[in-house]
Parts: sequence; C-alpha cells; structure tokens
Amino acid sequence: MSTQRKTGTAIAAVASLSLVLAACDSSSGGASGATGNPVTGGTLTYAINTDADCLDPHQSPADVAGFFARPIVDSLVSLDAAGKIYPWLATSWTTSPDGKAYTFSLRTDVTFSDGEPFDAAAVKANFDHIAAKTTKSQYAASLFGPYAGTDVVDPYTVKVRFTQPFAPFLQAASTAYLGIYSPKALADNADKLCAGGPVAVGSGPFTFTGYTKGQSVVLTRNPGYAWAPPTAQHTGPAHLQTVTFRILPENSTRLGALTSGQVDVAKPLPPANAKTVGDTPNLSIERPVSPGSVYSLYLNTRSAPLDDQRVRTAIQRGIDVGADVKAIYFGQLDRAWSPLSPVTPAYDKTLENSWPYDPAKSAQLLDEAGWTGRDAGGYRTKDGRRLTLSWPSLPAGDAKESRDVLAQAIQADLKKIGVEAQHPPLDVGTYSAKANAGDFHLLDLSWARFEPDVLRSFFNSASGPPKGQNASFLKDPEVDTWTNAGAATADERLRAVDYAGVQHKVIDIAAVVPLYVPNRIVGVSKRVKGLSFDPNAWSLLYDVWRDGQ
Amino acid sequence: MTAKIGGERLVLPLRASRRTRAVAKRVLAAVAVMWGAATLAFIALHLLPGDPVARLLGPMTSASETVRAQIEHDFGFDQPVVVQYLRYLGNLVHGDLGESYQLQQPVAKLIADQLWPTVQLALAAVAIAAVIALVSAVVTAGRPVLRAATSVWELVAVSTPSYWVGILLLTVFSFQLRIFPVAGGEDLAALVLPAVTLALSIAGVLSQVLREGLETALTQPFAITARARGLSQTGVRLRHALRHALLPVVTLMGWLTGTLLGGVVPVETVFGRPGVGSLVLHAVTSNDMPLVMGVVLLSALVFVLISTVVDLLYPLIDPRLRTQGASG
Repeated sequence: MSTQRKTGTAIAAVASLSLVLAACDSSSGGASGATGNPVTGGTLTYAINTDADCLDPHQSPADVAGFFARPIVDSLVSLDAAGKIYPWLATSWTTSPDGKAYTFSLRTDVTFSDGEPFDAAAVKANFDHIAAKTTKSQYAASLFGPYAGTDVVDPYTVKVRFTQPFAPFLQAASTAYLGIYSPKALADNADKLCAGGPVAVGSGPFTFTGYTKGQSVVLTRNPGYAWAPPTAQHTGPAHLQTVTFRILPENSTRLGALTSGQVDVAKPLPPANAKTVGDTPNLSIERPVSPGSVYSLYLNTRSAPLDDQRVRTAIQRGIDVGADVKAIYFGQLDRAWSPLSPVTPAYDKTLENSWPYDPAKSAQLLDEAGWTGRDAGGYRTKDGRRLTLSWPSLPAGDAKESRDVLAQAIQADLKKIGVEAQHPPLDVGTYSAKANAGDFHLLDLSWARFEPDVLRSFFNSASGPPKGQNASFLKDPEVDTWTNAGAATADERLRAVDYAGVQHKVIDIAAVVPLYVPNRIVGVSKRVKGLSFDPNAWSLLYDVWRDGQ
Repeated sequence: MTAKIGGERLVLPLRASRRTRAVAKRVLAAVAVMWGAATLAFIALHLLPGDPVARLLGPMTSASETVRAQIEHDFGFDQPVVVQYLRYLGNLVHGDLGESYQLQQPVAKLIADQLWPTVQLALAAVAIAAVIALVSAVVTAGRPVLRAATSVWELVAVSTPSYWVGILLLTVFSFQLRIFPVAGGEDLAALVLPAVTLALSIAGVLSQVLREGLETALTQPFAITARARGLSQTGVRLRHALRHALLPVVTLMGWLTGTLLGGVVPVETVFGRPGVGSLVLHAVTSNDMPLVMGVVLLSALVFVLISTVVDLLYPLIDPRLRTQGASG
C-alpha cells in the first residue's frame, strides 16, 4: 500500500499558483480560463479515486490527506509555480546568517473558524505537535529535517530552529503537511484528527463539515476568510458555497460520472480515455505535471552484477523508454530524462536526449563485462550463470498507471539484450524486508515533492533504506557533497549547480533509469471556472466558481 | 385436576431446563466459533513475513527511527507473542477489537459506522434475489420451454462477475438514461443499482435450486393427490410443492447471505458506496491487520447468527421438524 500511496503520489507541498501564471498559462485554457465575473455560491462535485486512511496531514504521508486538508488549513508561506515563496500567515521572515533559524512575523488579523486567534503560540503548538513522537508523524515530521524547536519570540513573532542549516524548510512550510490547526483543536481532539470532520479546525477558506468514510468529504465556505495569499487570484471568502469530494475508486465509474454530468471534475482519468474526454464539447482535459522524482527504475549499485557500471549502463541504454511509454500511455505521459521532474526547481534540461536507446552499445558493454555466453533461453551467461536481475513488485503499486504493462515492456526490451528481469509480485512484508536489506537488483519508485532536495533522499549515502529511498545504495562522495550543499543553501544559483551535478552524475554512472514523468489527467466540466493547479499538481479550489446553472 | 397440575409442574421445569441446555449449547458453540476465528486470525497475522512495523509503514517510508519505536511500543509489538495473544483475547472479551493501524481509530467503531450501509445493501439484494428466484422457479418448473429460456439467464447471471454487471447497469441506467445516480449511499435511488447487481448472481443460484426442488416435489404422489382433489396447478405449486422445495433454498440463502460480506466488495467499489466491503478492501491492501481481524470476527458472528436464524426457520417451514426438535 504505502508504495502505491507514497510513490506515485504527491507527498508534498500544496501551495498556491500565482495569479500571473494562471492567467498566462495557455495549457490551463478551457475550463480554467477565468472569464466573466465569478459567481458566488453553488456546489462543486469533485470525483477522486482514493480515500485517505488518516485525514490528518500532520500524521499521514498520503497525498490525498494533504489534498483534502489544503482548503481547511493555511500555511505560514505560499509557493508559486516557479518556486518563489510568498507571505501567507507570515507577513515576512528572516533566515539567520548560519541558516539554522527562521524567524517569522505573523499576521495579526487571522482567526481560526472556531473563533480562536492565530498567533505565535498557535504556530508553536502545531510544530511541536508534528514533531512529538506520540504523533507518529510518518511524513510531516520528516519535512522538518534537523528540527530543534520552535520559540515564541513575542505574540506575533515565532522562531523555528534547526541543528543544521536547512534550506528546504520554506518549501516544507508552504505545504498542507505543515498547515496550522486551531490550537484548541489540537488540545481537545488531537486523537480524532485522523477521522476528519468538523474537529479539524483551521483558518482556511473552507471548513471541514462532513466526512463519510469511503464515500465523501464535504467542505463548506468560511465566510470570514480575509487572508488569502498573494498567489491566489482573488481576496476574501471563496466563491463556492460547498465542495463535495466523491470517492469513486473504479475508473469507469469516475469517467461515466463525469461524462454524464453527475460530477464537475474527475481525477485521475485513465490515459486511454483522455483523448475522448478532451474531444467532448462540454469537457476539457488538464494535465498538471507532478514535481519531484519521476517514476524511475533504481539500479542497486551494491548488488552483483550491477556493481559493474558497464552492466548498469547496458541496462539503462537497453530499455526503449521512449517507445514503451508512448505506446502504453497513449502519448499522455512524457518519458523522463532526469530523475527530477521537469517542473521541479533545478531541473537540468541538458539531460534531454543525452542517453538514447542504444541496444548495440548495451551488447558491446555486456560483452566487455564478460557476459558473453548464451544459454538455451537466449540469455547471456558468464561462467555458466545466467544474467538474471530480480525486480520485486508490489501488486497494488503495479496496478497503478498500468505500471505492470510497462514492466512487461521493459522485461521484453531487456530480453532482447540477453538480460532476464524477474518481476515477482510480493506481499508488503516481504517486499519491505527485501527493499530494506538491499536484496534486489532493480526497484521502481517515484516521489512527488516540489523541491530538488528529493535527490538527497534518493541518492545521498546517508539515505539508505530503511531511513530513506536510496534504493541504488549509492555511495558517491561527489553526490553526497552536492546534495548536502544543496540542502544547506538557499542560494538558487548554487543549488542549480549542485543539483545539475547530481542529475548528470547519477545518469552517467547509471544508478537510475528515469522512465516517465507522472502527471494527473484531470477531466473538467466547462461549467467550472477558475480552476488552477499548484506546483504539486493539485487543484486549487479557493478561486473556483461555477458558471450559471 | 391435581394430577394434571402436578403433571404440568413436572413437565415445565423439564422443558425449561431442556431449552436452557439447548440455548447454552448454542451459545457455547458460538463462543467456540468466535474464539477459533479470533485465534486463527491472530496466528495468520503472526505468520505474515516481515517486521510488523515495516509492514504497517510500507516500504520506502520517510518515518524516523523515533516514530518506528513509538509505533512498536503503542501496538505492543515489543511484547512476547503469548503476551500479545492473551492481551488480544482479554480485549476481545471486553468488546475491544483494538485500534486500526492505518486509520488510528477503534476497530469496533469503524466497523459499526460502516455496517449499516452494507446491511442495507445485503438485505435489499437478498430480498430482490428471493423474489426473482421465486417467480422464476415457480413459473418455469416442469415447463421445458420456459425452463430452457430461464436457465440461460441464470447461467449468465451466475457466471458474470458482479463488477462487470455493475458497470453495465451504471452505463445504461445512470450514464445513458440517467434514471439513477451514479453512486452513493445517500438515498433509496442510489441503493437500487448496487442491490440489483448483487441480487442477480444470487437469484441465479437460488432459482436453479428452487426449481430443482419444485420439480422433484411435483412428481411426488402428494402433488398428484392434491391435483386430484381439484387444486389448480398454481395452487399445488405454491401451497404444497414450494414448501418442500424451500428447505434447501433457505439453507443456501443463509449461506449466501453470509458470503455477501465478501460479495459486496466489488459492488461497493464500483458504486463508490461506503460499507464493510470497502473497509475490508482498504484494510487488506493497507495491511491494517487489526481491522482485518475485526472483519474476520464480524463474519464469524454473521455466520453464527445466520445459522441460528436458519435453524429457527426450519420447523416453521417443515412441520415434521417440530416434533423432532422437541425430542432432540
């Protein structure tokens, strides 16, 4: 489960898209175009494929927990699509010269929807709650990195301290995972937040009015809302009176509900249906791209024969990624060239087309590495042993986005160069045990977050499983230096250089084979206006309104 | 007079104690079944490979060492298995099914919250299935042409997966004709399509069994006698043959109702309905073992209850069983 939830999913920040960007972005045309005067009132029905186990973003790592919480809780800062940070609940902030402390000046006019005032003590209560071990936070706490504590400087000034310089914090603070609940809600109902509903009180543009597990989440407009971030398109209360999320796990049901007009928005839609839906007159398709680490195949550099770089490169160049992705996803998903998604800050465009499919080169490299024999199955051998790679699979994760079909295509490609890739379906316990012990050759993962610091959790030698996602078990001094330096500095130019180094290096030494760039195919009725997406590819509901009817 | 009273005095306590004993036997058997189910579920849980904390968190998590330790402590994974088992049984006796790993709520509350939509769906489905089966079997029994025609739909209904039937019904009646809403548990209109979907496959089985029984009964001498007495064909079928044929159908219906707990899973998924089915699907896919064990216990309880109801129904349907029941 968790792979399914976490990997393809946006574990991360949810923040606002800038007004300018939403207005200029032609790709968000049709349904998103904010033409005409916004209408106040009405209900938006939004079909989504999954429910959250736990609806509290402080505890749950699920992307959908952050998605449901985003309209309910506000954050200290807001992020635009270019990665620029704007004020929100904090009016301004300063970073200490050593990069180990952030001091936020807070808005003085914010009240939570239960009437409690927002102040420095509320921020401290929330951050302490996330960091407390009894909260068992599976994700939010990790966003704090080397967290040391939060101090109330004065009623509207708060200081967050770290034991080391920690540049990714502002991005983290913009996410719903570090969203601010009413301190009264935390004091009275911390143990009930997982179950959602009216106990989850924030200061957001909507309040959490109803939750029926496995069926629906209902949000109602907060009429007193007057502290929208500058990244939003309007100020004051939200346009919609009610937002109803309908949980429809079955693809065809979600699709039918959209095409028959029973829901206004449906997400995600299967790639096979995207074109049909886009061609329907009263519907349009949006394809916001997920940031962070793309869906990739990680090559375990510690496990023979993949400890030989020549074998790894042979694998990397022996998979026809472009053709496979195009055929399986009907051209709706782009193939990836870097372990980072193109919308992530510090993405290195120069990697594109730099490592094309080259089975002849693969064959030559495998010959050089001594895998020259052939057995009855047509596979390469060395000293009588077949070139076999184990690639553990989780059936739940495989079913997602037809990854099982992609795996078959990859297996077929590898067979052509004489490599056998076994992809046995495992239960979560066995899979975790193998993954954590490094008892595998290949592992497929993705991790959405609008922050190149994901490269640290995937390739820094300190992030080996189970502590991180370094499934390549890479131990490279240069990569360690770059990822640590990137985390310690807020200077965008320095970070771009560091992260470009990492992206090139991990491709050059073939620690990873990036496969496709995840996106979310969202079907939208043309009745819906003003829908935009934040840097994490999640819909923003604050600016949405319904046309007529 | 005195003798009669004395006789009654003698008989009553005897009957009462016999009944008490019968009830006690039933309760004991029920407890044994529940204990067995609980123990099997516990053993199965501990036979699962891998570390329980890793299973709970899933692979490649960002949870820290501290969080792992806290989880281990909170769920008692650091205790010896025997202690965990005894604690689990002790909690069960007090009606505490434990706390869900993933949803972080008491399992009993989660199941209680999700039970009603499933019960609603199951009862509606069984009722629809019973009506369809009854009409179909009574009308077609012993009539070759009709029989052949209905056999076809029965076979199709039994062998078509319910999620497929559900999608078909949705496409026609919701997406195209827009008679019923796509999904939900809100009102009666939203119950129709899922209930029919679930009912069709059950109806197919019931109808086949019922017709078989009816046909056997109709060839019996009593049926001919009844006809000779001047009863109409339909009268014989409804008043005499049906009663004979009903016994195996009631048994089968009881069993089918029990299996509905699993049968609702695809239907609840397709129609996006809340309920125990979607809860159990979620629990299994997210390795939420306390919740899985809770549902195992629930299904054991459902089977115990249903078999009791079925046993109570037998003597009502077949008078011959009443005397046997009294002496046994």
